[in-house]
Amino acid sequence: MTHGPILKVENLQTRFKSVQRGKFVHAVDDVSVELYPGEIVGLVGESGCGKSTLGRTIVGLEKATSGRVLLNGVDLSTLSGSALRDSRRALQYVFQDPYSSLNDRQTVGEAIDEALQIDGVKSPADRARRTKELLDQVGLAEVVKGRHTRELSGGQRQRVAIARSLAVNPRVLICDEPVSALDLSIRAQVMNLFLRLQKDLGVACLFIAHDLELVRQAASRVYVMYLGKIVEHGPSQELYDHPSHPYSQMLLASVPEANPIAERLRKAPLMVGEVPSPTNPPSGCRFRTRCPMAVDDCKKQVPPTFKLSPGHDAACVFAKDLHRGKRSALREAEANAERVGALVPS
Amino acid sequence: MHDEPLLSVSNLTVDLLTAKSAIRPVDGVSYTVRQGECLAIVGESGSGKTVMNFAPLGLMPTGVTTQLSGSVRFDGHELIGLSEPELQHIRGKSIGFIFQDPMSALNPVRRIGRQIAEMAELHLNMTPRAAEARALELVKLVGISDPAARLRQYPHELSGGLRQRIVIATALAGEPKLLIADEPTTALDVTVQAQILRLLKDLQKRLNMAMVLITHDMGVVAGAADNIVVMYAARTAERGPVDKVLVTPRHPYTRGLINAIPRREDPIGSEFRGLPGIPPTLGAPIKGCAFAPRCDLAIPACTGSRPPLVQSVDSSVVVACPVVNQGRAAA
Repeated sequence: MTHGPILKVENLQTRFKSVQRGKFVHAVDDVSVELYPGEIVGLVGESGCGKSTLGRTIVGLEKATSGRVLLNGVDLSTLSGSALRDSRRALQYVFQDPYSSLNDRQTVGEAIDEALQIDGVKSPADRARRTKELLDQVGLAEVVKGRHTRELSGGQRQRVAIARSLAVNPRVLICDEPVSALDLSIRAQVMNLFLRLQKDLGVACLFIAHDLELVRQAASRVYVMYLGKIVEHGPSQELYDHPSHPYSQMLLASVPEANPIAERLRKAPLMVGEVPSPTNPPSGCRFRTRCPMAVDDCKKQVPPTFKLSPGHDAACVFAKDLHRGKRSALREAEANAERVGALVPS
Repeated sequence: MHDEPLLSVSNLTVDLLTAKSAIRPVDGVSYTVRQGECLAIVGESGSGKTVMNFAPLGLMPTGVTTQLSGSVRFDGHELIGLSEPELQHIRGKSIGFIFQDPMSALNPVRRIGRQIAEMAELHLNMTPRAAEARALELVKLVGISDPAARLRQYPHELSGGLRQRIVIATALAGEPKLLIADEPTTALDVTVQAQILRLLKDLQKRLNMAMVLITHDMGVVAGAADNIVVMYAARTAERGPVDKVLVTPRHPYTRGLINAIPRREDPIGSEFRGLPGIPPTLGAPIKGCAFAPRCDLAIPACTGSRPPLVQSVDSSVVVACPVVNQGRAAA
């Protein structure tokens, strides 16, 4: 059991009914993701790409249309009642906004105590002991126990939210943009907390974020998602050094540099347009409407997934050329831009 | 008068009084912005970066009494002490605004063309017909394809990036001399952020506008701004040209912020660099340096009195840190 993935998502599909009658929003479409014990894995993409819906479907906040979620090899859809509740405990969610995920009227102690009660810790003394332990694990002093959550700063609130998730001894945390609502100077502290939890408790994390540099440093592997599909997946270093899907290449190139001199020298071509509607996704490759390399074939067929190196694969007909550096979406975008003139019409 | 900056803020202090409490979100801040120049104001939530821009223009929530002191000179006129009708004449005309969330900045039940034209009618005394033509021009200017069709649409029919372009067009409708952009790309994706920043930069150059860019993202600052003001707990920590402040930050807070940005060469799984502690909550003005409790350079002098802003050797950067400024006289 120790060698298999703790969480396995197989061909998951989540559709919502669209406001347009008879149509569906294909939020997550045929996605497979694996998470091994004690691993931090990144899931990146633009807003509307379905990354949050994927996370919510995994923990059961949304209902999957098809596909399976296996926790420790057990298909969650086959369980019900107390068996389902028991296995769900191993799978916890950390929300983006610690201002809306906590009850303002509760004190920190009450908030954590509540989670422990639900977990079935009967004795108040045991719960008090465990509360102290949890506060310690998330780096909060015991004195905050009596404070109301509304009196805390964003970073402290997020720590309380994490302590609540940890109260039930989860094996997997789905973290949905857990630091993007926090101030710059606080983010590193909370990121380091995740790194420590992974090391000390062996909790696996699916880290959903749009901040690519943050994910690179924290995650050992990364999935890149575009319009409901995983377009590329690989070990962080390999994927960031050799992005092999045109989307990943352009996404990575659009991160600005904080050094003004480097930023001015950086010649990143702009990605044209925005993510199309998931109600009417483009035929064939979903990225083709924004892709500088798109050819007629991309319209006709869904691109196959190519294995590029151990654990690294990308779903693009040109993935092998892109991986070897024979072609580059950035160079081709630049050439296209020169051909049609400036991207901003005057 | 040729040399006077377009916007010149000196010793601006903002006090906010509610029924229950009194806070000072801006405490003695000074800066200037010249025509055609872009100034970035960087700080965390609660640092005062938004209030210091909006309070002098009368843009504060109701139920709060705002007291201003100091001076805000814009285009040769003092803004502090102006009446609401006088401010109304400036807002949206000579000073345009771009807000963080393009959805709440637009009226959801009116067509886009009407919203832009309304600004031109109000501020440039245009006839509805001329204003419609102007709206079309503006929508083209902000790089929207199929402009005539867009003017007939409602905000909810557009994507986030397109909406932000419409907000920019609306802000430009009164032909402003100064554009105040409050986190204009925070609600957008990184790929769309790049598009909007390039557009803002391009427009600023073409129209020779001044721009104040309020942000927390150093990457946005690096690409767009000429000068930067770093705010911490209602006060200026450091101010100067972007090329100096971002490359060789002097104030420990600025240094910590820049150091905290993850770099490509950081090993995977390595600790994130950050600042210890948490920013102070707004309340009464702090006696010494507000950053001292989080600062690893702090000396007893830091907590005694408010550190003055002192000029660097080449006089282009000012820093409020007694340790960095040791041996230099106050500016």
